[in-house]
Amino acid sequence: MKALVISQRPSDAGELVALAKGFGEPVILAFQESASKVDEVAAYGCRVYRVRSDRPEALYKAAFSLYESLNPKIIVGPSTKNVKDATALLAGSLDIPMVTEVVELSDGGSVLTYKRGFMSERVTMKAEVPYPVIALVNPKIVEPAEKAGRGEVIDLNVGELKVNIVGVRAKELSGVKLEEAEVVIGVGRGFKSKEDLKLAFELAKILNAQVGGTRPIAADLKWLPEDAWIGISGKKITPKLYIAVGVSGAPQHMSGVSGSKVIVAVNKDKSAPIFKQADYGVVADLYKFLPILTSKLREKFPGRA
Amino acid sequence: MGRDIAVLVKASLNPEIVRQVSEGIYDIDYTPLKISDVDRNALEEAARLKGILGGKVYSITVLTWGPSKARDKDLKLAVQEALAKVADEAYVVVDDNVIPGDPIVTSNAIVGVLKSKGLKPTLILAGEASVDESTSQVPGRVAAKLGYSYVGYVRRVLEVREGSVVVERDVEEYVETLEAPLPAVLSVTQEINEPRPPTLIQIRMASRKPLYTLKLSDIGLDVKPKRLIRDMRVITVFRKQVLVEEASMEKAVEKLLEYLEREGVLRV
Ligand SMILES: Cc1cc2nc3c(=O)[nH]c(=O)nc-3n(C[C@H](O)[C@H](O)[C@H](O)COP(=O)(O)OP(=O)(O)OC[C@H]3O[C@@H](n4cnc5c(N)ncnc54)[C@H](O)[C@@H]3O)c2cc1C
Ligand SMILES: Nc1ncnc2c1ncn2[C@@H]1O[C@H](COP(=O)(O)O)[C@@H](O)[C@H]1O
Repeated sequence: MKALVISQRPSDAGELVALAKGFGEPVILAFQESASKVDEVAAYGCRVYRVRSDRPEALYKAAFSLYESLNPKIIVGPSTKNVKDATALLAGSLDIPMVTEVVELSDGGSVLTYKRGFMSERVTMKAEVPYPVIALVNPKIVEPAEKAGRGEVIDLNVGELKVNIVGVRAKELSGVKLEEAEVVIGVGRGFKSKEDLKLAFELAKILNAQVGGTRPIAADLKWLPEDAWIGISGKKITPKLYIAVGVSGAPQHMSGVSGSKVIVAVNKDKSAPIFKQADYGVVADLYKFLPILTSKLREKFPGRA
Repeated sequence: MGRDIAVLVKASLNPEIVRQVSEGIYDIDYTPLKISDVDRNALEEAARLKGILGGKVYSITVLTWGPSKARDKDLKLAVQEALAKVADEAYVVVDDNVIPGDPIVTSNAIVGVLKSKGLKPTLILAGEASVDESTSQVPGRVAAKLGYSYVGYVRRVLEVREGSVVVERDVEEYVETLEAPLPAVLSVTQEINEPRPPTLIQIRMASRKPLYTLKLSDIGLDVKPKRLIRDMRVITVFRKQVLVEEASMEKAVEKLLEYLEREGVLRV
């Protein structure tokens, strides 16, 4: 029995191969970055089919033809946008189950048993679906497989695509690793302008903190770079201290900060949902509170700024 | 080229209202349904594009969570919002035989409505992810079944041409501009627009628009959900929920710093 692995980046291949081994003999479909760095992917010793494209439609067509010829029991891949868009097409045309953002999976005989977030990650769901199935997983849920020789590489041609690419624009990224920061200040729409964010940056300096924010602040208003938004569709952070300022506490934001040791919320609305999800909540206008907090901390840590 | 738009509108479980029955077991019956947030953006975009395309707009909803009797009020409210906002007519699939639904049932039912009613939208708009399941797969499944072109995570519809649509698609590290031939399915992100609530007049008009409630047999469909839910548990993270409420900001700051000092999280 075969298990098809969709690898988008060489860094995902080891974990996906390790997962696939629990279900069958892994065969890799290398796409996007993994197609251009195919040697790194072939190093796991499995046969690699390569589609030289970064279009979901190309991945869909390649996966469809491999599905027909290999008859895999399971298709595993990362839960990224390109892979989701490709496998949603595959799942639809084959009418087979597809599960995404999976954090645990195991073979239950005729079914795949899996666990994933539900209700914007406030609930976990355990469920099962019959094979064949597409399972897109979260990173780091297993140890990567050992490298083992070099697998054969076969190029796939997918022919014409319906959707044409007109242009690509890189996003403005800060490169800051919020995931690794010990203290994070999270800014929300309680700030009235981009300039006002300096109140948060000044506080961050004193606390050796990084600044992140809610999705509307980064993706909509573009007051922060696009890799600085925290939540279900952004970064997951695990700092010792998270200070949310002018953030309402929507479940999609809070799921990204649940791993914080201590959560502080500053919000002027006493009924804001974030106060029920924080260790310390300060009911205050951020414009009055932050300058005083920063200046008190300056007195406390004179060496820092 | 057709000129109609279909909008996929889900009545999702509201993730803001999560309660346990006992020992962590999620109380799904207690949670009300509401229109899935991003579907509001899809409706807003449909309103804008209706002005360009000039055809009809219909909304399609498949009830996922039951029992249908208990969900009827919430479901109506979500569909009424679609009608008030932009839809000329609404199609709702309600069938207790396929509850709780899964993406296989949902996508087949959506396609079943279109085919059995002879609807041929040139554009199908959906949300990037529903707020309860967040699987981002229903729109792609529908596109594959209909043979429509598909673009997910659309942040802008730049232009509707004769026979194609030009859009910006949000990927993790970059934004692409794409031209997709019509008919097409697009899933939209929250950033595409700022949804405005329907006006009072629109809400009043909505009750006069046709709402068709259908069973699977009405659309000639015989599918069963393939997913079996075994267990749903509320993720409980204990938080102290200490509130600092002081008229004097100095006092509030002092109190907070005292707490944080005690937690040992200030000197990192
Ligand atoms: C599918 C999906 C995915 C999503 N993914 C994410 C995600 O990954 N991350 C994310 O963050 N969001 C995400 N969202 C959006 C999320 O639902 C919320 O809309 C968003 O988090 C709200 O951002 P906010 O708290 O900045 O703004 P708001 O909800 O508008 O809150 C602003 C808060 O500021 C307070 N305030 C106003 N003025 C002041 C002042 N002067 N002083 C102090 N407080 C003040 C207000 O009381 C309010 O509570 C997602 C939504 C969906 C549907
Ligand atoms: N039961 C449903 N009825 C109508 N539309 C749905 C349903 N489920 C999902 N959709 C559409 O598909 C989008 C993505 O949902 P999901 O695949 O569940 O993340 C939603 O935003 C809706 O536009």
